[in-house]
Formats: sequence, structure tokens, C-alpha cells
Amino acid sequence: MSNLVRRLLKRKLATFAIIIILLITGAAIFAPWISPYNPDEQFMNGLSLQGSPLPPSHHYLLGTDLLGRDLFSRLIFGARTSLLIGILANGVAVFIGTLLGLIAGFMRGRVGSAVMRFTDLMMAFPALLLAIALASIFSPSLFIVALVIAMVNWVQIARVVYTQTISISEREFIEATRSLGASTQRILFKHLLPHLLPTILVWATLGIATTVLLEATLSFLGVGVRPPTPSWGNIIFENQAYFSTAPWLVFLPGIAIIALALSFNLLGDALRDELDPTQRGRS
Amino acid sequence: MTPLLSVRDLVKTFDVKGKGDGVRAVSHVSLDVAPGQTLGIVGESGSGKSTLGRLMLRLLEPTSGNIAFDGISLTDLNVKDLRRKRRDMQMIFQDPLASLDPRMSVRNLIGEPLIIHGLGTKQEQSDKVKDMIERVGLSKDALDRFPHEFSGGQRQRISIARAMITLPKLIVADEPVSSLDVSIQSQILNLMLDLRRDLNLTYVFISHDLAVVQHIADTVAVMYLGEIVEMASATEIFTNPKHPYTRALISAIPQVDVSQRRERIVLGGDIPSPQQPPTGCHFHPRCPVAMPICSQITPASLTLQTLDKSADAHTVSCHLYTEGSES
Amino acid sequence: MSRYVVRRLLQSVIILLGVTFITFFLLYILPADPAQQIAGKSATPETIANIRAQLGLDQPLLTQYWHYLVNLLHGNFGRSYIQRTDVSSLITSRIGPTLYLMIFAILIELVIGISVGIIASVKRGKATDNAIMLFSFVGVSAPQFILSILMLYVFAVKLRWFPIGGYGTPQHFVLPAFTLGILGSGWYGRVMRSSMLDVLRQDYIRTARAKGANEFRVVFVHALRNAILPIVAMIGLDIGVFMGGVVVVESVFAWPGIGQLAWQAIQRVDIPIIMGVTLVSAIAIVLGNLLADLISPLVDPRIKLKR
Repeated sequence: MSNLVRRLLKRKLATFAIIIILLITGAAIFAPWISPYNPDEQFMNGLSLQGSPLPPSHHYLLGTDLLGRDLFSRLIFGARTSLLIGILANGVAVFIGTLLGLIAGFMRGRVGSAVMRFTDLMMAFPALLLAIALASIFSPSLFIVALVIAMVNWVQIARVVYTQTISISEREFIEATRSLGASTQRILFKHLLPHLLPTILVWATLGIATTVLLEATLSFLGVGVRPPTPSWGNIIFENQAYFSTAPWLVFLPGIAIIALALSFNLLGDALRDELDPTQRGRS
Repeated sequence: MTPLLSVRDLVKTFDVKGKGDGVRAVSHVSLDVAPGQTLGIVGESGSGKSTLGRLMLRLLEPTSGNIAFDGISLTDLNVKDLRRKRRDMQMIFQDPLASLDPRMSVRNLIGEPLIIHGLGTKQEQSDKVKDMIERVGLSKDALDRFPHEFSGGQRQRISIARAMITLPKLIVADEPVSSLDVSIQSQILNLMLDLRRDLNLTYVFISHDLAVVQHIADTVAVMYLGEIVEMASATEIFTNPKHPYTRALISAIPQVDVSQRRERIVLGGDIPSPQQPPTGCHFHPRCPVAMPICSQITPASLTLQTLDKSADAHTVSCHLYTEGSES
Repeated sequence: MSRYVVRRLLQSVIILLGVTFITFFLLYILPADPAQQIAGKSATPETIANIRAQLGLDQPLLTQYWHYLVNLLHGNFGRSYIQRTDVSSLITSRIGPTLYLMIFAILIELVIGISVGIIASVKRGKATDNAIMLFSFVGVSAPQFILSILMLYVFAVKLRWFPIGGYGTPQHFVLPAFTLGILGSGWYGRVMRSSMLDVLRQDYIRTARAKGANEFRVVFVHALRNAILPIVAMIGLDIGVFMGGVVVVESVFAWPGIGQLAWQAIQRVDIPIIMGVTLVSAIAIVLGNLLADLISPLVDPRIKLKR
């Protein structure tokens, strides 16, 4: 593991990505301590006389938003939300996807085909629209948003795990383990899964990028995280009207989103190159 | 004495997509293996011997036929009971690098069967593993290393240790020394002989190499294209082979002693594709003494008189013996 | 070949059926009480019971699904809870602008993507190539809505070259089409580049050069003709990608297509419309994939069909 980290750090882009991720994660973890103000607090002097947001100043490092709240504080707490949902949603997606892919790939036959047909079916839906539909049906909450994103994202991991499982389960040591009398459960979790870990790691990392983007888009459309809880996506959503007069309200969260997604993509790509050089280039 | 392993009329057909009938890898095989005996199964590649080996342990599902092990019908067992029975019947594979999980330490590899079958406490298991690794001729510090760190012969020793640790009654060894250097082959064979004696084992030893089988088997069955064409005690087979195929195989064994050199019988052609077996006796296109009847009727399995009356039966499937005439 | 076509068609039909089942499930089974939703907040219990009977919500699942399916085949996508009109008429009235945008966006993507891909392949390894690859990588990482807003800001707000969204004149059309075009071109660019690199390595290219053809001819006449084949199949898949972003793009540019329809429906939690748009998108994706699978063996004789 430490060997892998060392190899990654030799790559410039990957190192850059790791630094960004660490910075943002740090901001998310230490938010209450580094944030200058309470992100929900609407300040009396936070708006101009006409009631519009204030530009960056001494007082408010990055200005205020449409309700007179400090943008910088909201951005820092927004990191928390975006990262939290990204990791939670991705975790659930990886869990479901890996489990289904493993079982389908190992058992093959009707179970395997059924699962794969189901993933084909899920892929017929544009992820965003499906997420929107699900989010509209259920009442909003952070947890639901994460769950909805997970429901949409598990498919890709399941397919990758499925193909890999099939190829690994054809190897003789799996037959040998079966001949010892090992149960299917044992073979799946003690023998197949460890061989799948590199692939899972790569796709989990790339997956965080997708989940972060999906959450941002959902929040931007108003069906993701609801205000007042700050998320980078819903900051853009709330302040849309001011994008011509106070564009930083839209672009600063935007840059943050791009930075986070880009970093995870770069990291995932680098991991893929390191762990499986045969898969270079995006699918 | 009841045989330890008994197969009756075993057939295995693999489906081939697009073609109707499929490939018959094993065709109506019946045989018994007595406890303590070593049965050698010989044949060229494509003869179905590896498939037969796996069928015997029900690692492959037979298309039809019966397998009885230790008095119990293996074919009727449900999945869970079958798994439990595996403790008494183990397999040694040809390629030890491929058959050992590269990510597991030797300690875990050898100890896994004990964990699977819940044999002994942690301490007892650990002791058994240590005992076994030394029995197969490796030192205890091999335990924390990984398969790729060893040579082919050492890896096969690890495989053997893993197969033996539950003290099984039956071991099916599928070409266990074929992928090893000749000099290492005899070491491993001797190890297997020692273990057979120490642990009271019954072997089914599959190989394409008659010279190897000669070393280790009590009874020999010769397979061609999915069928057993001749079966007899080892001494019988080597001194008194009946089937033309067996004779050709034996004639090909390299002999060091010049006075013992045999006439080399060279077979024409290659083993035909199992998808299109020849009519009648499968061997007739390559048989140096084929008769017209051979291409028409499949010869039945006949029991012949053996020179040594106390030995096992000598069976052969060949029209040369159908009329009872000896050649 | 025709066996393959039939098989693919059948697969698509099955997937479409599955799609309709899922939309049915999300529409009628998941929500707590569709009858309540339709009746509205102030309805009496009798009205709700009536509606429930009308919708057939007390019937077995499969019967309900069957009714739903039959309705769909007749073009009846249900009624909006809030607007009290047929979903299908709303969609048909709005689908024009979306199709219009999609066709032109894909055209622009192709033009930009193919040219950029060719350039990158010709200048392989040099700064131009790396810059192009990085750019397309960023294009994939950045969410569409941010870049759309960026384009809007730069070209509509600051430079005032184009109006800030809306529909009607050619100027309204430029920004959305080009934003999508630039974003989507990255994908084509990468494929074009690797395809060109593969082709340029081939012997027949060397032969053409040896025969004295000038580089321009070699690249554009000989290589391009073969390298472009994988792109053709991608167009079908691109329809799916477009559908994925249609809501966002149309809402940012205030483009009156089905994406904006869905966005308005989102604000009002009008589930039938959302499901209708989702269903239409899924159908478009399945058809697009089918098209891609049917066209590629036709266009590229090297592709062996799976038996």
C-alpha cells in the first residue's frame, strides 16, 4: 500500500490531485474551526442598500450571498456536504455494485444473465433524469440524496466487477479451492474479492468524481441538498439571479466543484495506470 | 473388499454451441479403486483422463452414470454434504503456480482445508500445518512466503501438503509431475510414495507418461478418446499388454538397458477430434492390425485370463480377442 | 447479418418493455399515494377513493402495468397532476426545440471533435496534442451546467454578443448549440485521435506516401476515410449523452424544449411530467444504441458480428 502511494507521488498530476483532495477534505473536517462565520447566519449588514449581495471585502472575504450570508463560510461548509454525500453515495454504490457483480460473475448462468440484463436496463435511463425522478418522489434529506445517487451509480461498478469476476473465476486456483470443499461464500470473499480490490479501488475513486458532479447538478436544479444547508451546487442554485452582477457567487462554487471532480478523476486515472496498465485510456 | 471408489457407466458430454451433439469427453467408463491401491490412468492429451479424474471427485457434473465413494453415492449427495465429503477426497493439480492463490501465504494455503472443515483448534491447526510442511520436505520458514517465491517442484510440494492435511482417503493426482523437470519428477514421485505409505492413501494417478506410471501404480487403465481400452495390474500391462494402443505406448517408453529394447511401434496420425469420433472401435484408423470389423462394431470390454491368477482382472476392448483367439 | 438485426431489435424491445415497467413502478407504485397527489391537498376522502378506482390502483400490479403499457402505446403518457393536461401533448409541443438543438449540437461536436482529433493525431506528442487531451479531460470532469453558465457569462453578459437565453432568433441558438458542441467534442476528439493514430500506422498509408501522394491527401483522403468509422457508431450513443444533460442545458439557456419542461416540473414536483420526459429520454437512448449497433457493422466491415 505504501509502495503504491510512493509510486503515485512520482506522477505530477496525481500529486496535484492528492493535494487538492487533501485541502478540500481538510476544509471539510475542520470547517467549524476555520470558517470565519456561521454559514447560516444572515447578517444585517450583509446586503447592500438595494438588498443585493456584497462583493468581497475586508469583512466578508468572498462577499455575501443573496441572504446576506458569508460566502466563504458557506463554501467551507459546502465542502463538507459535497464530500460527505460524494463518499457516502459512492460507498453505497460500490457496495451494491461489487456484491451484485461478484455474485453474478461467479454464479453466471441465469442469475448472472438476469443481473446483467438488469444493468443494461438501468443504463437505458440517463443517470441525471433517473436521479431527478427518484429525488422528486422521495422527500428531501441529505440521506435520501446520497441514496438516490447511489441507486444510479452502482451500475457501472457492477458491470466492471462482473467481467473481472468471470475472468478470475476461470483461473485454476478457484477450481482448486472448490475441490478443497470451500463454500461459495468463502471463495467469493476470501479468494475472488482480494483479487478484485485494485479494480474496485480505481472505480471507487472515479466514482467519487461522478457522485460529486451528480450531487452538484441535482442541487443546482433544486432537487438535491436543500438550503439552508450549504452545498456547492445549491449555492449556485440560490444565487442564479445575481450571476451577471455578482458572478463570483456562481463561479467560486463552480471552480470548487470542478477542482474536486477533476482531482478524483486524475487520481483514479493514475491509480488505473499503476494497478492495471492494460486498461489505459477511458472506456 | 468394498472398493473405496467405484464408478459405473460414467459419461460426460460437453455441449458445443452451434453443433447438436456436443463432445463426449468420457464414454461409459466403469472401474473400481480398492483401498490402498494406486490406479494409474494413462492416455494422450484429449483422451479424457483429466475429465475422468474430475468426474471421480464430482468436480464436474457427470452427464450420466454413478460414482460411489466410501460406500456413499457421490452422485446423489446434495451440495453441502458433497462439500463436507471433500475432506476425504482431494486433488493435486498439474500446474502448481496456477492452482495456488498467489495472494495467500503458504501457511494460509496449507491450513485452509482445516479451516474449511473445522478441524481442530487454532493451535492444533497451526501445529498440523507446521508438521505437514516438513513432511513434504520444506522448512518452516517457507510458511510466511508466497507461491511465486518458490520453484516448480517446491510449489508442487506445497500443493501436496495442502491436499494431504485433512488426511484424506483418496487423492486424485492430475499430471502432478508433468510440468516439472525430469530430475525433480522423481523427487516428487518418491515423496508421494512415502506419503502413501505413511498416511495410508489411495491414489488415482493420471498421466500421459507411462514411465512415470510404471513407477507408482498398482493397476493401470489405458484411455483412448474417452474410453478405457485396457485395464490390468501394472505388471500385467507392462509384461503382457493386449491392446494395440497399449502396446504402442509401451514400446515408446525410453529404455536404458539395450538388451531390453523393444520394437518401437509407431502410430500413424494424430488422435482424432473428440467431436468426430471414428465409427466402431475409435482406434481403428491408427491401429496397425485393424480388421474390417473394427470400423463397424465397437468392441465390448472383455475379461482375459491373466498369467498370474491371483492378480486383478485384465480387461481389454479389442476385436482381436472377441473370438477368444490369442495373438 | 439479418439474424443479428433481428436479435438486436428483439433485445431493444425487451429493454423498452423493462424501461416502461420501471417508469410505471416509479410513477404509480413508489409514491405514497398517487390518488392523493392527483386530487390535491383539499380533496375529500370520497374524491380520493374515486380517483383511486378510476386509476385502477386497487387492481393487481400486472393489470395496472398492462393498462399503463396499452396507454403508452396509444400515446397516452398520463396527465399532469398540476397542469391538468396530457403529458404527451406537453411533450410533443416541446420536443421540437430539443431535437433541433440535439441535431445541431451533435453536428458541431462532430466538426470540432473530428478536426481536433485529426490535428492532435498529426501533431502527436507535441504541445498541441497534450493541450487538446487535457482540455478534453477537463471537459469530462466539469459539470455541464457550470461550463454553460460560464459561456453564458462571457459571451452574453460581458461581451453581449448573444442574448441571455431564450428562443426565436438564430442568435438565441448559437450559445447553447456551441456550448454543447464544445463540451461534447472532447469525446469525439479522443476517439478520432486514437483512430487516426491506428490508421496512420498501417501499411497502406506508407504505400500511399511512397507513391508520392502529398501529406494532405494522405491524411484527408486515405486515412480519414477509415479512421472515421468508429465515430459513426458513437453518434447513436451520443444521443444518450445528450439526453442525460438536456434538463440542465435547457434550463440554463432557457431553451423551451422537454428539458426545460422537466425542470419546471421539478420545481413543482409534477411527477408525471418528470416521468414522461424520463421515459422519452430512455426511449431515445435505446433507439440511439440500437442505431449505433446496427450501423457499425454496416460501415466497418472489419467488425465481426457476435454469433
